[in-house]
Amino acid sequence: MGRQESARGGCMVVKVSNLVKRYGDLIALDHFQLDVAQGEIFGLLGPNGSGKTTAINCILSLLNYDKGEIEVFGKKMTPSSYDIKRDIGIVMQNVAVIDELTVYENIDYFCGLYVPEKRLRKELVEEAIDFVGLGDFRKFYPKKLSGGLLRRLNIACGIAHKPKLIILDEPTVAVDPQSRNNILEGIVRLNQQGATVIYTSHYMEEVEQICTRIGIMDKGRIIALGTKEDLKGMIRVGEKITIEFLTGNPQDHVEWVQELPFIASVTTQNNNLLITTERGHNGLGSILSAVHDRGIHVGRVFCELPTLNDVFLEITGKELRDQ
Amino acid sequence: MFWHIFKYRLKSTVRDVQTIFWTLAFPIILVSFFAMAFSNLENISEYKTIKIGLVNTQQYQKNTVFQSLITAVSKDENPLFDVTMYDTQKAAAAALADKQISGFILEDDTLHLTIRSAGIDQTIMKEFLDWYLQTASSVNNIIAADPAAGMKISGIMSENITYIKDTNTGTNKPNNVFTYYYALIAMTCLYGAFMGTKEVTAVQANQSAQAARLNLAPVHKLKVFLSSLCAVTLIQYLSILLLIAYMAFVLKIDFGNQIGYILLASFAGCCAGVSFGAVVGAATKKGEGIKTGIIISASMTMSFLAGLMAAQMKYMATKSFPILAYINPANLIADAFYALYYYNTYDRYFLNVGLLFAFSLVFYLIVFLLMRGQQYESI
Repeated sequence: MGRQESARGGCMVVKVSNLVKRYGDLIALDHFQLDVAQGEIFGLLGPNGSGKTTAINCILSLLNYDKGEIEVFGKKMTPSSYDIKRDIGIVMQNVAVIDELTVYENIDYFCGLYVPEKRLRKELVEEAIDFVGLGDFRKFYPKKLSGGLLRRLNIACGIAHKPKLIILDEPTVAVDPQSRNNILEGIVRLNQQGATVIYTSHYMEEVEQICTRIGIMDKGRIIALGTKEDLKGMIRVGEKITIEFLTGNPQDHVEWVQELPFIASVTTQNNNLLITTERGHNGLGSILSAVHDRGIHVGRVFCELPTLNDVFLEITGKELRDQ
Repeated sequence: MFWHIFKYRLKSTVRDVQTIFWTLAFPIILVSFFAMAFSNLENISEYKTIKIGLVNTQQYQKNTVFQSLITAVSKDENPLFDVTMYDTQKAAAAALADKQISGFILEDDTLHLTIRSAGIDQTIMKEFLDWYLQTASSVNNIIAADPAAGMKISGIMSENITYIKDTNTGTNKPNNVFTYYYALIAMTCLYGAFMGTKEVTAVQANQSAQAARLNLAPVHKLKVFLSSLCAVTLIQYLSILLLIAYMAFVLKIDFGNQIGYILLASFAGCCAGVSFGAVVGAATKKGEGIKTGIIISASMTMSFLAGLMAAQMKYMATKSFPILAYINPANLIADAFYALYYYNTYDRYFLNVGLLFAFSLVFYLIVFLLMRGQQYESI
């Protein structure tokens, strides 16, 4: 079977059609569809329990499924598709290393399952150590590493054999901000070196930061798909403006603000007035001008662009970050 | 690939302090305590001839029955009494005071025992005299009632017939203590189950993250499992050999000279232990704690029935439930060593070793059946 072309023009690396996976009465994946093209960093974003990890495990043939088709590199994926597996690198949500082996030995052990040739493997292991910045820790045992360093080791074990497809399943859970940034930068570098990346997370900021295309998941389905700009373009909301009132009741100002042009909604929260503008319109200037004309004294004023959480909120009616 | 996995499983298992403690250090500590306890036990149970004195009174000279009895218990290789004759009570008392004897017997109208302090020797002397006096009294009563019966009794008692004779058909003298040592080796072999279950957990994607990663590699998990299994069986085997070497060379426990057979029995025991753990690991999807609990309780029960805590238990269990002797791996291991040490023939030894290998095979078949699937319902 030849490689298929994606709608975006690149070769299809992963193609999932109508995937259904049930756990008893619970439908974990409900006719799940996914196309990932070569060279992408595809983000699978969704709250905990939305089916991201289940989808990944099905794609990797770890989990059996009730219905659907999965192709990786244009071939049907099965548990014994060793030629396909050879080109896949996986970084699991849980750290999967051997406590009794050092950093170097862990990477060498897992890399050795893909690369039997010793000399080549040595080079790859050294590259992976440099890549994740564990050069000073090569003789450390995992228990001596901090949470962030442990995550980096987990990544090194998954990518040392230079896979063409790298799947990272929530690799930054419980990681400090500095290590998180290192990990995210590393993923971008892997992609620049030619790897296609599937990145699952429930942190929308991470997905926004690195992913070229994003699929938002809920209840086992992809409910929105596209670039972050595409996704934000799907919703009604433009900007979110917050005005803090130092005196008076913000409720008194709801009515006149609502009459300003391009205002989508006005609500209050404590001393704050929360205003959303219509998509594609900048309302901050006109609002501030009106406030000034009325001689109202205000405190802090914030203006935010819509986030993927707003996209999720508008599509599902619930907050992504609250899940 | 085989050697790559083998090498790293060997390394990681050797560095696993917990595993090495239970499979090597703990048995060595336990057998050292056994050796200490049994050396005292042997001292306590070792029989020593009791030195007694006998005052050569006229009544004693007339009492030929008692004389014969004293003679009977003072001869042979390990006599009950070492008798010294004294002409006077005073001389016997002086010897007693000087601790040359544990007590002395004086016969006038009846038999008197004089001792200086209470002890095992003195108790034996008293029991001996009581038994004699009771028997003599019974015989006298029978003779008084029926003189003819008295003649028969006299005839029977004068014949010193022994119907049972102790013989040793094997190469070594029987020693109950060895049952404990053999059961301890059996327990150690079964502790290989910890490694067996760990290796299964390491390749079952629904049981550990590490296993999930292995399942995604371009190698069949049963190949990984086979390499791992060889590594841990080797480590377990070396642990057993170290234990036996420690017992033989440091604790001076005699295992006989049949090294090849000892090695084979040890290997069979290791295979049974590791494979038993593999079955527990494959059949139980619960956490590590549950698996460890199952292994400890099962191995301790099997070792208990093989005589680890009480040597008699091995015989009682075998007598009450003969099938246990053939289905309890701990008993098979202990009995293989037992048979090797005590018997000239190898039938019993090979039966035990053969059954151990058969069990290992069955266990691995079960493991294979449980693990052959490469996809999981849930992870």
